[in-house]
Amino acid sequence: MNSELTIAMPKGRIFEEAFQMLIDAGFQLPEEVEMSRKLMIEIPEENIRFILAKPMDVPVYVEHGVADIGIAGKDVLLEQQRIVHELLDLKISKCHIASAGLPNTEMDEIAPRIATKYPNIAMNYYKGIGEQVEIIELNGSIELAPMIGLADRIVDIVSTGRTLKENGLVEYEHIADVSSRLIANPVSYRMKNARIQEIVSRLKKIVK
Amino acid sequence: MSSIKKFEKPLGMRDTFPPIYEKIERTRQIGRQFLRSRGFDFIETPTLEYYDTVGKASAISDASLFKLVDSQGNTLVLRPDMTTPITRVATSKLLKEKIPLRLAYSANVFRAQQMEGGRPAEFGQMGIEIIGDKSVYADAEVLIIVIELMKEFGIESFKLTIGHAGVLHDILNDYTDHDYQRETLQRLLVERNYVGFEEAVHEFDLPVTKANALLEFINEATNLAAIEDMEKYVRKNDGVEYMKQLAKLIEACNLSQYVSFDFTLSSHMNYYTGMLFEIFASGSGFPLGNGGRYDGLLNLFGSDVGATGFGIRIDRLLEALPKEEMVEETVCILFEDEEFNRALELANKLRQQGARVTVQAKEGLINKDAFTKLFSRVVELSQGEEQ
Repeated sequence: MNSELTIAMPKGRIFEEAFQMLIDAGFQLPEEVEMSRKLMIEIPEENIRFILAKPMDVPVYVEHGVADIGIAGKDVLLEQQRIVHELLDLKISKCHIASAGLPNTEMDEIAPRIATKYPNIAMNYYKGIGEQVEIIELNGSIELAPMIGLADRIVDIVSTGRTLKENGLVEYEHIADVSSRLIANPVSYRMKNARIQEIVSRLKKIVK
Repeated sequence: MSSIKKFEKPLGMRDTFPPIYEKIERTRQIGRQFLRSRGFDFIETPTLEYYDTVGKASAISDASLFKLVDSQGNTLVLRPDMTTPITRVATSKLLKEKIPLRLAYSANVFRAQQMEGGRPAEFGQMGIEIIGDKSVYADAEVLIIVIELMKEFGIESFKLTIGHAGVLHDILNDYTDHDYQRETLQRLLVERNYVGFEEAVHEFDLPVTKANALLEFINEATNLAAIEDMEKYVRKNDGVEYMKQLAKLIEACNLSQYVSFDFTLSSHMNYYTGMLFEIFASGSGFPLGNGGRYDGLLNLFGSDVGATGFGIRIDRLLEALPKEEMVEETVCILFEDEEFNRALELANKLRQQGARVTVQAKEGLINKDAFTKLFSRVVELSQGEEQ
């Protein structure tokens, strides 16, 4: 009955927050996990196995069913459109996706250029409001793009707004709210339903 | 465009190598015998169909269709599913000869992939359609066949999740104020985005009683204890009654442990009108298949006799099958020039005993050791040597 459950967790800050939530929900987990270079943590007491992945990769592990459930940012879910069940909003790592640019600037009239780490989200957003744009995919330091004239706007995650401010950018449009979500593989959700539902209801009680 | 290398295949197309081919073939044989013994007749339809008929009626999204143009300028599609072509041939011809029809198929279908190139765009599907029977017994027959077929394949850990498109529609309709709200909620359920469902309910600014009912419904329906629990959301609903009857029939066959009911189950296939279900098994991260009552598709082809059925993906079925090594005796007879006749005679004798025998001339071999290593038994016939 109590079959092993594999949970895909994003490495870094979200891991610690989410791990603490599971402890608060009453799961028997060690208070301190050595976050060395280990990619897999076994918790025999709970029959749980954690795998640590890059945040962008969590939905991949879950979609393919090598992880039964996982914790992924809504930004990643929106960008990748993978076939996973979205079970619970954990309301941690809250931020939002927004467009930003240099202050008091208009977008180029013909085809404004948008630099982003999230090409699908950006494309869908501008398509939805009827703007024709050219998407430029970057992997980091997105804020650089408007400053040196690569793009009119950027589409990126904003949490405190400090990074934008320090780089002389202002937020223009609010695109979507982001927080961490508990996701499940469709087959695991059915085959291990009792266990997964239990985790959902226990976590639900402590979501702020 | 980058140039295509000589060994490349179109996106999502796969070669099937001998070991997998054998597995698929064996699976097909098991399925075929099983379904024939239950009175189903196998049928084949063309690979190509008109876009305007089968292509449009099919529930597969337009972007996933492989389209091409024939010499008259008509748009054609590679069949994206089997249910639609079978409905076409049943409504236009077969129903006049027999009703209800019990048809089965095992064929490849084609769906263009947008995600990760390696995912198959062509895959085998096996399934059945019962056309012309609107009774609950037809739906029960479909479910029972799926369960028994899974057992026949030797799969032990599997589950059918059953919902009802009509009941869900009624509930969403009753507790929303506008069509767009119902459609949004429906879409979120197709994506199984329960978080999004709750967010949308809050956003719609519905009267408190309606909003609370929806939130309660989503909570209760995903943890459903009994079908009766749905009655407080829709009073005297035909669909709920139907599902109670269906559950009773499954129970009568002692198969209840393989099914669970989830009234939030919703499909992008919008022709499902009544009961619908998905098939899950340990071993594959993706559903093995799905099915349900699709009277709506029959309507598209101008018939109202009703239909129900299911389809299973063979590629995913293979992942869920119990692992068993195929042990098969393979014999290689190596012969030298003069021994050709003797080699053929020996080969015939061994084949009659049921062995798989390869007859190979020694002089045709480039690397004898590498070749003979691949057989479970090697017989060398050299000149003048006694057998």
